Amino acid sequence: MSAPSVEKGIQAIKAQIDAPVASFFSACVHCGLCAEACLFYTETGDPKYTPINKVEPMRRIWEREYTLLGKAKAALGLAKDVDEGTFTEWETLVYDGCSLCGRCSLVCPVGNDISGMIRKIREGFAAAGHAPEGLIGASKRAVEIGSPMGVKLPAVQAQIKHLRKNTGLDVPIDAKGAEYLVLLSSMEIMNFPEYLEAIARIMHQAGKTWTIASKAFEATNSGVQIGVSDIAKLLVSRVVDAADELGVKTVISPECGHAFTAIRWDGANLIGRPYGFEVKHILEVLDEFVSQGLIKTEGGEDAKLTYHDPCQIARKGGVVKQPRNLLNRIATNFVEMEDAGEMNWCCGGGGGVSANERADEVKLTAFNRKKSQLQALGVDTLVTACANCRLVLEEGLEENEMDIPIVGLTEMLAEYLVEDKPRPEVKEEA
Amino acid sequence: MGANELLSWARGPGFDIALIIFVGGMLLRLLEILALGKKPDLSPPRGSGPKGGVETILTRMLPRKSIFDKEPLRIINGYVLHIGFFTVLFLYGPHIVLFESFLGFGWPALPSGMIDAASAITIVSLGVALALRLNNKVVRFLSTKDDYIAWAITLLPVLTGYMAYNHLVASYTMMLALHLLSVELLMVLAPFTKLTHMFSFAMARWYQGYQAGRRGVES
Amino acid sequence: MSISNDSEFRKALDGLGLEQQREVGSLFVKSVLELSDDPRVAQSLQAATDSEIGDAALSLARRTIKAASLDAHARCGADGEWTDQAGYFVARAAEACLEPEGRSGSKGPAWKAAMSARMARTCLAAASEEDSHDVESQAQYQILTSYLDA
Repeated sequence: MSAPSVEKGIQAIKAQIDAPVASFFSACVHCGLCAEACLFYTETGDPKYTPINKVEPMRRIWEREYTLLGKAKAALGLAKDVDEGTFTEWETLVYDGCSLCGRCSLVCPVGNDISGMIRKIREGFAAAGHAPEGLIGASKRAVEIGSPMGVKLPAVQAQIKHLRKNTGLDVPIDAKGAEYLVLLSSMEIMNFPEYLEAIARIMHQAGKTWTIASKAFEATNSGVQIGVSDIAKLLVSRVVDAADELGVKTVISPECGHAFTAIRWDGANLIGRPYGFEVKHILEVLDEFVSQGLIKTEGGEDAKLTYHDPCQIARKGGVVKQPRNLLNRIATNFVEMEDAGEMNWCCGGGGGVSANERADEVKLTAFNRKKSQLQALGVDTLVTACANCRLVLEEGLEENEMDIPIVGLTEMLAEYLVEDKPRPEVKEEA
Repeated sequence: MGANELLSWARGPGFDIALIIFVGGMLLRLLEILALGKKPDLSPPRGSGPKGGVETILTRMLPRKSIFDKEPLRIINGYVLHIGFFTVLFLYGPHIVLFESFLGFGWPALPSGMIDAASAITIVSLGVALALRLNNKVVRFLSTKDDYIAWAITLLPVLTGYMAYNHLVASYTMMLALHLLSVELLMVLAPFTKLTHMFSFAMARWYQGYQAGRRGVES
Repeated sequence: MSISNDSEFRKALDGLGLEQQREVGSLFVKSVLELSDDPRVAQSLQAATDSEIGDAALSLARRTIKAASLDAHARCGADGEWTDQAGYFVARAAEACLEPEGRSGSKGPAWKAAMSARMARTCLAAASEEDSHDVESQAQYQILTSYLDA
């Protein structure tokens, strides 16, 4: 990223304004209903978190640059400015107080995609040097090392070895012609290695060929979170190049929210051309395997449990039925929380919020929304499909002294997997 | 200027000017939006964009349960306001005659008594809207001069129309003149306030719905 | 009895009752204890092996070790330190020892503790590229054998 400046920030925002954005600002009637959909507002009671307010700097730029009325107002000195102070004031609204969850976009009566606009405005904040430190660091590491958390290939290889010792199953690396390219998020590699084991066992049972890519094992896209399309493009390109080189049919996005959004929806637009492969979320793939009879489950959990819909996967990704199909096979007491599915409430830590230490307090406050949902249900277990959600939820539950274990859905499915395919013998190496 | 001269002017040149500014202004606002264009989406679609766009224009007319539960009065009042306003505007005999003179066709009118009631309800609804705007901390926080101006210029025609019909305050001729002038004020200012939403709402819903339809996600 | 591979290891563990699993699990954790610098881990092991412990104290121990493991995890997007991450897995291993009955599902607390303990050792391998994984599984077979023989 070149030296930031307010001017660059303004230009970056200007470049993000298109016909949809203009129609959104023209249609907004200040009804304030978007606030009622936003957990940062509902739990803090502070109107500054009203979603449409978060993009006020963009509105000012739109009005002054792209409307006659706005130009006239500016000429008369009546237009509101966007300056250093504006960026400073709005930084915590655009990053700390928004997880890009998209609920606001769904409730706006005139149809405004407000969270889409917040994603766009981040481009300007990053260019103006007003992105949170945590995200800047993560992006830098992602670009230079290949993972926002500094995970390097040897670390992944060590885990693969651990996996092989425990299960006898291997994780192919750079296997040309494999059907599936599996991506992993650093969060999973570091905190939930059970995910990789689950994938290995499921793929083996399903009889599918798969691989990870040594040059592109990372799914997390910090560029999307910080709002720098150049970085987002670079990170996606690594995956696309690897997928093309290995000639895979489908790229699988792991249990990580924004990774899916980045590779499934943003990727082709970032690189400027359509993909030569499909992109699916792991839950979509698992659901396919199950409905095609490639994998079977036996037994299940009888504890009362519920499912937390990760925003990028459910509301923005359209993967809503699949986790439920899967859970219904391995859980006998699955209850839905209120507002389950597309309208579910965010964990509070998505969109870069959990990577931003400054946002810790507001994130915990926002968690109260999820807390209310859970308290109303009284469950013994919470299932979800996003490594970030998992930790944010765990932290929130711990803060509120609620003892509800959280389990990843892929991992849970693997637990009840019928495994009748022989595995290579676990040899003890000399 | 006497009431008669005012009325003549309002019916004649006044209306012509207002109409030109209204149509020209709205077209300008629409072109300003469309001229920005939209990059095509290269990601593999799951569904149909146009289908999503059209559906969303319709489905956003109804609120989601979780939001309705939080703000029932504000949402219901919004419906009352819009339905009342459009009823008076489009289903009152003399208004239909005016439309007919432009469009070449008309449609059945509602009995004047019903229109009178509808106007009264609309005026009350506008009053409620203002009270809600001032009393809700989020809405108050968001509100700008534009919101209050838009409110006033929407209220005036309904109010003066009601007063004219019921022979209140001033002579019928004068009230009618004021009614027409207030309509002309609305027409002239609308393209430069948030009242542009009367057209842009469909565009906003279309754009979001299009993307959602293409992605196969909820909208 | 000699245990030389994982299927024998798992079988032997599955044959143990809850209290025994907690005891053995604690031994697995102790074997990697030096990889964590959080005193709460050792404290929780005491709770895990105390057969006289009351419900309230057990509850507190569980919350404490859960907090320890959360504190130790790598924050999303932060510069991940594998040596710190080892501490996270040690805490998770201790957590497994304290899990309420039935929560471990088919895996059993001792097996879970063993796996997390091995993962802690693997973190070192991730940090230093040396292969210490085998070392831990061998050590665990030894620990279990000694425990069963005693």
